[in-house]
Amino acid sequence: MANDVWALAEISNGKLAGISLQLASKAADLANQLGGSSAAVAMGTNTQAAAQELGDCGVKTVYASEGTVYDEYLVQPHVETLAALIQQHQPSLVLFGATNYGRDVAARLAARLGLGIEYNVGEVTLDGGNVVMTITAFGGSQSVKATFKGEGTRLLGARQNAFPTVRVGGSASVENVPAPAAPKQGAKLSGPFGAEGATAAGHLGKAPDGHDIWLPAVTTAKLEEAQIIVSGGRGVGGPAGFEQIEALATALGASMGASRAAVDAGWIPYERQVGQTGKTVKPTVYIACGISGAVQHKAGMGTSGLIIAINKDKEAPIFGFCDLGVVADLNVVVPQLTALVKQRRG
Amino acid sequence: MLMMSIGQFDVKPAKAGFVAKCSEALRRGLSRPPSSSATHPTLSTNHNLEENPVKIVVCMKETPSTTVEKSFGPDMRIERRKEDAVINPFDEYTIEEGLRQQEKHAGSEVIALCMGPATATDNIRRALAMGADRGVLVTDPALAGSDAIGTARVLAAALKQIGFDLALFGSAAADAYGGVVPSAVAEFLGMPLLSFAGKLDIDGSTARIERQAEVGYQVAEASMPALVSVVKSINEPRYPSMKGIMQAKKKPIDTLTLANLGLDADTVGAAGAREEALSAEKVTAQRKGEIYMGNEGAADRIVAFLVEQKVL
Repeated sequence: MANDVWALAEISNGKLAGISLQLASKAADLANQLGGSSAAVAMGTNTQAAAQELGDCGVKTVYASEGTVYDEYLVQPHVETLAALIQQHQPSLVLFGATNYGRDVAARLAARLGLGIEYNVGEVTLDGGNVVMTITAFGGSQSVKATFKGEGTRLLGARQNAFPTVRVGGSASVENVPAPAAPKQGAKLSGPFGAEGATAAGHLGKAPDGHDIWLPAVTTAKLEEAQIIVSGGRGVGGPAGFEQIEALATALGASMGASRAAVDAGWIPYERQVGQTGKTVKPTVYIACGISGAVQHKAGMGTSGLIIAINKDKEAPIFGFCDLGVVADLNVVVPQLTALVKQRRG
Repeated sequence: MLMMSIGQFDVKPAKAGFVAKCSEALRRGLSRPPSSSATHPTLSTNHNLEENPVKIVVCMKETPSTTVEKSFGPDMRIERRKEDAVINPFDEYTIEEGLRQQEKHAGSEVIALCMGPATATDNIRRALAMGADRGVLVTDPALAGSDAIGTARVLAAALKQIGFDLALFGSAAADAYGGVVPSAVAEFLGMPLLSFAGKLDIDGSTARIERQAEVGYQVAEASMPALVSVVKSINEPRYPSMKGIMQAKKKPIDTLTLANLGLDADTVGAAGAREEALSAEKVTAQRKGEIYMGNEGAADRIVAFLVEQKVL
């Protein structure tokens, strides 16, 4: 209906991504403000459990479509289901995550149904009935306010952590939707592979092509929810250099992140990437080690509570947006810091 | 050339006629066939990996160099100066991957496709200097202000006309970082997209990728013709050689207009956009914190700072 707001949940191999709850929370909030109803769409396996979580965040309805076809093919089955639901119910706004999954689904929907689409949205306000979005562009160097024009459902792609997860203790009514048949010309999916290295202790492992890669401990994962993050960049020097970064993170009870330079060099898996094309994080403290601080990195961590930077290069841009900048060799400072933190924490 | 991001336009059923169901006609292309197309085997032919020429279109966009100051005109479009326009850094990996596949599959053709202003030929020429065989520029005054979906509509129409086995894209462009164009093009063409490829293999008539995942990777595969978007870890782009630059001067660049593609001006450009920018401002660094110089005592200073801030 005209004032309804939906959230596109993201489920992969039965696991609900955290951003789904942020989207559901915001959908419930915006629908309230607009005087409409809220819903979430959950496609994949284990959707009934997902529906409970989404309902907990305040959406009134969950359209649940259970089927393995969603895990077996890239996004085309999702688009079939979602396009039919949108045509049937005509929501005003559908929130999706500006993730790989969200972008691939929403782009096809926009192309198929002729919908307005915006992405990399960091804030949403309602100006009367108008949706006004704040978007970062040019790697975070420009902030743009934009709105939609024309009729029909609008697709709004939110950055990770743009909206908080708000658990209101609600429960959604679940409407089951049948899953479509496999696409005739689809992209068939299998995996994940190469995830065996994600164990309790971080260690040096081998990437599929044989090069060395630091496989971080699972205990330092969950960047989006972390209160403290220690990140490493090109200055770390190589995959083995992440051992000391992870040691500091572990001492602080922190998560470990990385810059794109380190991920692109193949030193550490993509899941750890902070920045414009990685994760957006908002910890209380962000410690950047050997990260020069390109605007693209800043776009992913610029709203952190406190930023501490350690870098040899006193001209590094990161010294322009930190609360404490240390111009020093991280190979000296990081191990000392780890030892001091361990001492204090006994 | 293009507006920031922003939008989409109505797909009216009557105008969606070009949405291709992938067909032999599509694969072969409708326009000026390249010289190699006569020998180009159809996909139904059972050909071996090593003797498997593929027709590859690499899609590229001009973006303002990431180091220049950005400014917006009164129409809220980024002011794009010719001298600041570079190949979108993500697309250099796209071009490189096309060339590497050509090296693996003898007889393959690599075509660089770009939508942009007439001056974009300079950057297409750079792709040709890297080694692409020929270029196609889609340019038309009515394209100014296109949003991502409008851009995708134009690229889909051009790809349909050129014909291809494999169309390669960067996973985003270094302006709006939308990353939605490849998937929208795939939808307009009714084809699969193998997205976020960190590795690409062509095996007979199948394209197979290792897809960047949260942890590890997934494997995705599709029958060709298909679309692939690549991430930067897939390769290391080459620099054009002097010889390449000289050869590029003689390579053909065809120009296509909206009329050539059979598209209506009101479905693309600013007219077709479904979003509008209201204002823009430069994001400035707001933090000028304390700077501590030197290794000596640095760790102590950080601990003291964390204690002051009640983190430790």
